Amino acid sequence: MELSESVQKGFQMLADPGSFDSNAFTLLLRAAFQSLLDAQADEAVLDHPDLKHIDPVVLKYCHAAAATYILEAGKHRADKSTLSAYLEDCKFDRERTELFCTEYQNNKNSLETLLGSIGRSLPHITDVSWRLEYQIKTNQLHKMYRPAYLVTLNVQNTDSQSYPEISFSCSMEQLQDLVGKLKDASKSLERATQL
Amino acid sequence: MLLELSEEHKEHLAFLPQEDSAVVAEFGRTAVEFLRCCTNPKIYEGAARKLNVSSDTVQHGVEGLTYLLTERSKLKTSELDFQDSVFLYLDNRKEIRTILSESAPSLPSYHNLEWRLDEQLASRSLRQQIKPAVAIKLYLNQNGDHDTKVLRTDPATLLHLVQQLEQALEEMKTNHYRRVVRNIK
Repeated sequence: MELSESVQKGFQMLADPGSFDSNAFTLLLRAAFQSLLDAQADEAVLDHPDLKHIDPVVLKYCHAAAATYILEAGKHRADKSTLSAYLEDCKFDRERTELFCTEYQNNKNSLETLLGSIGRSLPHITDVSWRLEYQIKTNQLHKMYRPAYLVTLNVQNTDSQSYPEISFSCSMEQLQDLVGKLKDASKSLERATQL
Repeated sequence: MLLELSEEHKEHLAFLPQEDSAVVAEFGRTAVEFLRCCTNPKIYEGAARKLNVSSDTVQHGVEGLTYLLTERSKLKTSELDFQDSVFLYLDNRKEIRTILSESAPSLPSYHNLEWRLDEQLASRSLRQQIKPAVAIKLYLNQNGDHDTKVLRTDPATLLHLVQQLEQALEEMKTNHYRRVVRNIK
């Protein structure tokens, strides 16, 4: 894990009971996780009465250090021993190390989900809708009797957050072909995940 | 000069080549009678029963032939040209009908689908992942142009897609669908 000097300095301040008493430490730690994981979190996350006595510059500095560290740890899937080793290097006492690890463990899944969802990928199919129609006439050919399917795929683009749709028509045979191929893919997927 | 037949006429005459020459001859005679005076719906009904088509089809056949005959004399088409027009139509009949049926306002149509299983192992923001996914390449046709779309989906959505589309296929086996098809024809 690559961590800058400012992260280390921030943690050293957090370790000092003179700068952060037990209560303040816990509050800041929770605030760091909240601002990362809670979509509705805003700047007021540090506006707690029990943190008012601390210099705002120090508060922001330590908050940023904690958040940076949490993200790096999440990215590399750090385990408890890695976390403890680093925190002890920053002069964290036993109690604070335990508290950090517990808080990290509680939020680990949400953190990993968040990090896993960041990134570019192909447009993602989210849903499908279909319509069966029976065509009887067009202005070119007076009588034609044939069934047709209209299929619409709902798609989500990860980077542009747009939701285009892909629509196409097909005959019964073509739809059977399409479904057959999707079923093959599904069976392969099942087999692969069982290995 | 080749005779220009409208689509409607071509349709009307479409069933004739399937019948044998005696039938066509009978049609020709009826067409001439029609020209001379008027038509007798009873003749159509009789013919329709014998040929196993609707009497509308018979009537249209006669009218189509009549048109052909009148146009021919109007334009003093040569024997050769007349035969050529008819043959041209007959040879390409099937193709013409297919093209006409597909040139209606349409959406891109399905052509083919290819798929590939992918396993995402890591990304810039998260290492050591195991994230299975399916990449899909959808080939579509529109007005002769080929278009491909590359898409992706996860295992749960894939199952959902299969389930939904299987339901769509089942719909063609229902009584409701069969009733509609029977009654429209």
